Amino acid sequence: MKGMLPSLLFCPDTFFSERMKEPEDLKIPGIIVIIGAIIAAAASYLISGIYEGLFTAAAGEGMASMLGIFGAVSAFIAFVIIWWLIFTGIFYLLSMAFAGTGTFRRTLQVIGYGLVPVIIGSVISLLVSLYYIPMVEVPVISNIQDPAAIQRVMSGIFEDPAFREFTQLSAVISAIFLAWSANLWIFGIKHARTLSFRNAIIVVLIPVVVFMIYTLYTAFIGTPFLGGS
Amino acid sequence: MKNSFIAVIFAVIVCSLLITTTATAQNTGDGAAQITVSSVDVNPGVFFEGDTGIITIEIVNNGAESVAIRRATMYDSDILVLSSSYDTTTTVGAGNRMQFTFTVKADVPPGIYYPSFSLDFRDAGYLRYPVQIRVENDPLEISVLEKPDTYSAGRKDPIDIMVGNPRDNPVGSVIVHFSGASVEAAPSSYFIGTLNPDQAQKISFNITPAEPTSLDIVVDYKNGVNPHSSVVTLPVNFGESKKQAEPILSNIIVEYGDGKYTLTGDVTNAGLEVANSVVLSVGEGAEPVNPYREYVVGSLQPDDFSSFEITFLAENTTLVQVLVNYRDVDGNPSMRTTPVIIPPKTSAKEKTPGVATPIIAVILVSAVLIGGAIWYSWKKR
Repeated sequence: MKGMLPSLLFCPDTFFSERMKEPEDLKIPGIIVIIGAIIAAAASYLISGIYEGLFTAAAGEGMASMLGIFGAVSAFIAFVIIWWLIFTGIFYLLSMAFAGTGTFRRTLQVIGYGLVPVIIGSVISLLVSLYYIPMVEVPVISNIQDPAAIQRVMSGIFEDPAFREFTQLSAVISAIFLAWSANLWIFGIKHARTLSFRNAIIVVLIPVVVFMIYTLYTAFIGTPFLGGS
Repeated sequence: MKNSFIAVIFAVIVCSLLITTTATAQNTGDGAAQITVSSVDVNPGVFFEGDTGIITIEIVNNGAESVAIRRATMYDSDILVLSSSYDTTTTVGAGNRMQFTFTVKADVPPGIYYPSFSLDFRDAGYLRYPVQIRVENDPLEISVLEKPDTYSAGRKDPIDIMVGNPRDNPVGSVIVHFSGASVEAAPSSYFIGTLNPDQAQKISFNITPAEPTSLDIVVDYKNGVNPHSSVVTLPVNFGESKKQAEPILSNIIVEYGDGKYTLTGDVTNAGLEVANSVVLSVGEGAEPVNPYREYVVGSLQPDDFSSFEITFLAENTTLVQVLVNYRDVDGNPSMRTTPVIIPPKTSAKEKTPGVATPIIAVILVSAVLIGGAIWYSWKKR
């Protein structure tokens, strides 16, 4: 176990070749994913504080804190599903096109290990959010039952300079660390699915680049909220 | 001899008749002297010109014998007697009283009149008695003691009046009515009842006009059986009261923060009357939001002031109206509007926080380290 992390981060080829010699074990990857999910839940809870005023006006203080808990649980589950299961599923399916062999469980194992950089990026994003969230000026909602008022508030939050800057920085940090995770996944998929380097790069980079472009696009260009302009 | 006897008999009969007649005349003359007028009642005591009244005359037989009355009547060249005479012969027993009632109409100018009561006795003699009737045209007086200088639509204002009786007789069934177009009076009428001579009654009432108009104060009363009325008309003109409360806003500060405008200031009552239930809010151009959608100051005495705070949203405008709603002592609502210029919201929002240097450093260092790690991992492949 000792020296596993440096080996994973800096010599992934060696690390994953050694893991292939061991029986399939999801214990450590599972712990890594749970740690990442907890950090995502904490970040979601912090960000839900921005909307607290909105929901306090709608349903009182109790409902606002319930919203924070609900957001944290959702983020926890979403992290496990999106970052582990869906990415693993995509890599597994894409590698099938290149006649990849190896079990889904083994793919889960290597993708789990490869999430370590994403988790480091999440920690940095969480720290950055602690700096930016207090600066976000949350608009006050005049009438919770008025859809136009809700859209005005949501637009106000997204147009807030601090929130916008936080979103963009968070996207950049995610992209940088996702690139590192992608590097680990290339080596992991190569070994788990017995692919060539070229094919492993293709399998990993297609979904990762698409995801990265989407993340950066939404952060810098933005998407309309609830039909708003 | 026979003729002499007849002459003596005739003389005796004539003498007897003469003696009998003389004796009867003497008795009747005594009876007339026994009858006197004991009381006279005139209702109403003082007539208006054209009034109808009743005169009741009571006689008493002070003698020891009864007296026969053939006719009782009243007559005058000016006063019109509406009722007929008493033409039936009747007898007033010794010590007894009898009343005679006549209806008269005083269709004469103001003054003092003396219609005569006449009593003719059956046997001989009569009694004449002049009755005094006064005719005056002085109506009840209505004095306005207190009224507002000006009125406002929908505002309840008090009015005090005094109803006095300058006549020498009491008047009855006195009722005061208040009427006018677009005016609501409370109470709508006031019953006084009997108003004695030189007596006055104070009446307070409130009116709520809807538009400039006039108010008729009508006093209906009866003089005997005759209805009369006095009227006073008050103009109801709209305008600002000189004493009314005047809440003035000062020390106004408008700041934008936390997604909303916060307006703070002082409200001072610069008027001469107390302002009750003072509530501040925003009007046109702004949308009130929590926590201070409205600010209740409460009561403000003249020259008193209070601080207030209002929170609101304002889009695409630089001017909002601050409304001060208040009530006077009677609960009449009033509102005063003060325009306030607000700073543009964007001035606060445009203060971009700027990317902190440590964050930039962390990102750059991370990027370099990750680049190095990736390069190293490929080198070690």
